[in-house]
Amino acid sequence: MTRRTYVTVGALAGLIAAALIAASILGAQGPEPTQAHRVSGGDTEALLDGIPQQGGALGRPDAPVTLVEFADLQCPYCARWSQLAFGEIVHDYVRTGKVRIVFGGLSFIGPDSDEALRFAYAAGDQDKLWNVVHLLYANQGPENSGWVSDELLRGIGAEIPGFRTNRALDERTSPRVEQAIASAAVLAERHEVSGTPTFAAGRTGGMLAVLPVQSLDPEGVRPLLDQLLAR
Amino acid sequence: MAVAGLSGLGAAVAGYLVYARFTETTVACTTGGCEVVQRSDYAELAGVPVAVLGLGAYLFLLGTALLTFELMRVAGAVAAVSGALFAGYLLYAQLFLIDAICQWCLVSDVVIGLLAVACVLRLRSG
Repeated sequence: MTRRTYVTVGALAGLIAAALIAASILGAQGPEPTQAHRVSGGDTEALLDGIPQQGGALGRPDAPVTLVEFADLQCPYCARWSQLAFGEIVHDYVRTGKVRIVFGGLSFIGPDSDEALRFAYAAGDQDKLWNVVHLLYANQGPENSGWVSDELLRGIGAEIPGFRTNRALDERTSPRVEQAIASAAVLAERHEVSGTPTFAAGRTGGMLAVLPVQSLDPEGVRPLLDQLLAR
Repeated sequence: MAVAGLSGLGAAVAGYLVYARFTETTVACTTGGCEVVQRSDYAELAGVPVAVLGLGAYLFLLGTALLTFELMRVAGAVAAVSGALFAGYLLYAQLFLIDAICQWCLVSDVVIGLLAVACVLRLRSG
């Protein structure tokens, strides 16, 4: 084998690797959100308006079924579920009083997860957690890039009618927020959650069991919820 | 022989990750970060799971071990070296961007690194 062959192998391998790395970096960054998409409070408001929220719970407290979503606000699959399934599940099950969804927020991807989670739980004190969660997913940035800035959080807060953004920013380190984060972590450990999103559900007030969700569209959870409702 | 064995091992690891991905089963993990890595933005390349690309690469390298004419040896070296360089980047992503470690990815990193060495050394035999 000649020296030229080695040079050719090295050059081709370098080019292919550079292309793969460039594609990976571009893919991880995702499409740059347009200003119009960056904060879309109107959609969130229309989706959640009139549905009771209590801390991390969305829906009537006496709904027969409780669904817990264990999620990391930086997790792209969680954002995909929010985009593909959440609206339909809310429309068909939560708004109709059949199901109550509880947010089990986790922060294992990195610092931005923690920043986002604290703001979400702080919003829970104003019963606006699900508005914030939905908007954070809609504006999700590259993992641990510093995308959960105070500027973004202020922008999200400004899109939620009646929401006191400064109060939520101040309460990110409050004992109630710490308690909510710790409680979700304990619940996740009890259900051996190893990835997100993970869903657990059961009759309200009864035992919860992890759902074998096979897809991130509404059909991934719909038959499981229907089974629980039929009991 | 070394290329065939390493390719088979790499294909088994990548095949397991592909299986877990498409059956949505939890990856067996002792490092605690496998699911985080597998569900991160870096687990896909242009919409294709990296595990699928890895499986394809290992099967291709297995093919070059069986078809030993010069062009295949050169193609195998290009694939293995580019794969090792890309694996190095993914290792960097695990350590510094995702902040989680997937043991299966580490095994694959070692295998593709050894394959790169073996495939370059194999060029000498031509």
